[in-house]
This record gives sequence, C-alpha cells and structure tokens, in this order.
Amino acid sequence: MMIGTIPSAAYHDVPYTRGGTVERSEVGALVRSAVDGDAAAWKAIVEGLGPLVWSVVRAHRLSDADAHEVYQTVWFRFTQHLDRIREPEKAGSWLASTARHECLKVHRQARRLLLTDDPQMLDTVSEGGEPEQALLETEEAAAQGERVRRLWQAFEELGERCRQLLRVLIASPPPSYQEVSAALDIAVGSIGPMRQRCLRRLRARLEARGTV
Amino acid sequence: MSDDISDGTGLGDGPGVEEELLEEELRQAASLLDPVPPALLQSAVDAFALRDLEARVAGLTFDSLVDAIPVRGAAAAPRMLTFTAGEVTLDVELTEDGLIGQVLPPAPARIEVLTGPRPSTTATADDMGRFTAPVTPSGPFALRLHTTDETVMTEWLRA
Repeated sequence: MMIGTIPSAAYHDVPYTRGGTVERSEVGALVRSAVDGDAAAWKAIVEGLGPLVWSVVRAHRLSDADAHEVYQTVWFRFTQHLDRIREPEKAGSWLASTARHECLKVHRQARRLLLTDDPQMLDTVSEGGEPEQALLETEEAAAQGERVRRLWQAFEELGERCRQLLRVLIASPPPSYQEVSAALDIAVGSIGPMRQRCLRRLRARLEARGTV
Repeated sequence: MSDDISDGTGLGDGPGVEEELLEEELRQAASLLDPVPPALLQSAVDAFALRDLEARVAGLTFDSLVDAIPVRGAAAAPRMLTFTAGEVTLDVELTEDGLIGQVLPPAPARIEVLTGPRPSTTATADDMGRFTAPVTPSGPFALRLHTTDETVMTEWLRA
C-alpha cells in the first residue's frame, strides 16, 4: 500500500534527537575511542547501534539465516570502516545504509537463485515469532503477553511501507531521522508525516479489534 | 481517546502523545518478540578483534550479483567479484567447488580466507598470481593477501 506525501515542513531541518541508553551525541566520542583501540567503546557502540542494524535487517524481511549473515557482515565491515570514518557521529547512518544495501543484495541473490518472479517465493518471511513466543509464556510476561501479541500482529499486518518504517523507528534506543533516512532511503522530511500516519493506522487497526 | 483517528487534521506536528505512546509500546514489543539474538550481539562485540591496522582495505569494485546483467538460464554462473586497493586488484570467483582467484599485478602471495574471528583457510598464489581455495564461503567472508611488501584485506562481504 502506498503512502502519499503529506504536505508538511515540520520536520525539515529539525535535528531529531531522542533519548536512549546510548545518546546519539555520544556515538562520535565512542567511535573515536574505538579507533584508538578501546574495546569497551566498541562494545558500547554495538549495544547502542546493534538494535538499529537488526531493525533494518528485519524491516527487509529476510530469512533468519540471511538476517544473521547480513547483521554480521555489516559489523565486520564496520571494523574496516572505523579507521577511515570521516564523520564518527554519523556511524549509525553508515551502519543503517550498509545494512540496507546488503539486504537488497540478498533479495537480488534470492531472485537469481530461484529464477522465478513469484513474489511468494521471494517473500521468505522468517517464522521469527515462534521461539520468542515461549518467552511470553514466562510468568512475568504472561499478563501482558496477549496484548503484546495482538499489537505485534496488527503491526505485522500493516502495509509494507508502514511496517518497514515502524520496524526501523522502534529500534531501541530510537534512531535519529538521519539514520532512518539512511536505513530506508527516504527523505528525512517525509519521515515525520509518514510516521504519524502509520501510527494512526496501527491504532485504528487495534481499535477496530477492541485492543486499545 | 479515539476521536482523531482519521480526521486528517494536525498533520505536520509529528505524532501526538497517543501515537508516541503507541510507538513506545511497539518498541517494547519488538524488544521482547524480536530482539537482536544474543549470539549475534556477541559476534559483533567479538568482531573488534578482526581489525587489522596493518592491512590496506581493498574495496569491492565489481560484483556480478549487482553489476552484471542477469542472463536467463545462467543462474548457475559463479559469482564474480573484483576488489581494488590502489594498483592491486583481486579477482575472485565463488564456485561450487571452492574459490578461484587471481592477484594483479601477478605476484606470489599467501591468501587467507576469513569467515569471522576464527582461524582461517590459507591458499597460495603462484607466480601468475593465481590461487584456489577448497572452500566455498557462505555468510560473511573476506580475503587477506600477504605479499612480500604488504598486506591487503578485502572488504567484508556476504557470500
């Protein structure tokens, strides 16, 4: 389902910073420390930006095996990029963009291997929900489990563009709009309006099912 | 609570409070239902050991997966890759039987096939710069080339 452009300039030029365990303003300093050989800084980068990379991979609907390989490839390549990085504070955008390119390559490879245009075949959606569902059966999560499951299901059923955008936006800690832009190759200025629209859609779905 | 679902007003102001809350709830759901697998997190942390400050990085300059026009019926053609670092070029073919490559300009060299922070497979390039390795990488891989003068490492790729 396509989402039209909503006329809005609200998010143009507005640096969008949101809180998280690793503040985006710290990324530059962490990268510089990692360049100097600080393994703890590297670990903090992985913990702070790994969920973003994972979100980008998940947004592109790869099989679990492909998703794992892309995630690793992106980080392995970042070890090489580290010493040449010109704008350390934009490491998240570099990672997001690299992840996107690798995901697109996977799609391309799958298309060639299958020699088919059947979109069903290309859409190798992982059954990632299965093992995690066990997690929901644990006692502390049981009460919230049903609601979380319904929310996730409603999210999965959104149109592809909304699902992609939200999957990247809900990385934890939340990505900056620059990073979202790099992850999905969409203009920073269109993220705010799309985000709003997609969240409204999700809420409408939940309300239609009486889940809000 | 729900009177502003579809009235289309208030656009341009970013998400309202309710949307923000919904997004946060979805974020928590993602952390619960689809987190970064712990083994992957660890693998990325361990990747710091892959840094090779001595090696020059050879960037990918050709990838048949991206740069070649697909030929119908030629699906089994091996993937061809070219990496370049300055004057050094490394051509690689990923075949079912293993990896075939050539270093240009031709020079004897030792080549490591890396697949992660684990021990690697090694191949030797002859006087013509040609080499073969009996491994078919799947997943992330890189080649590290040791010549008499220097070390060159290819950009990491997913095979």
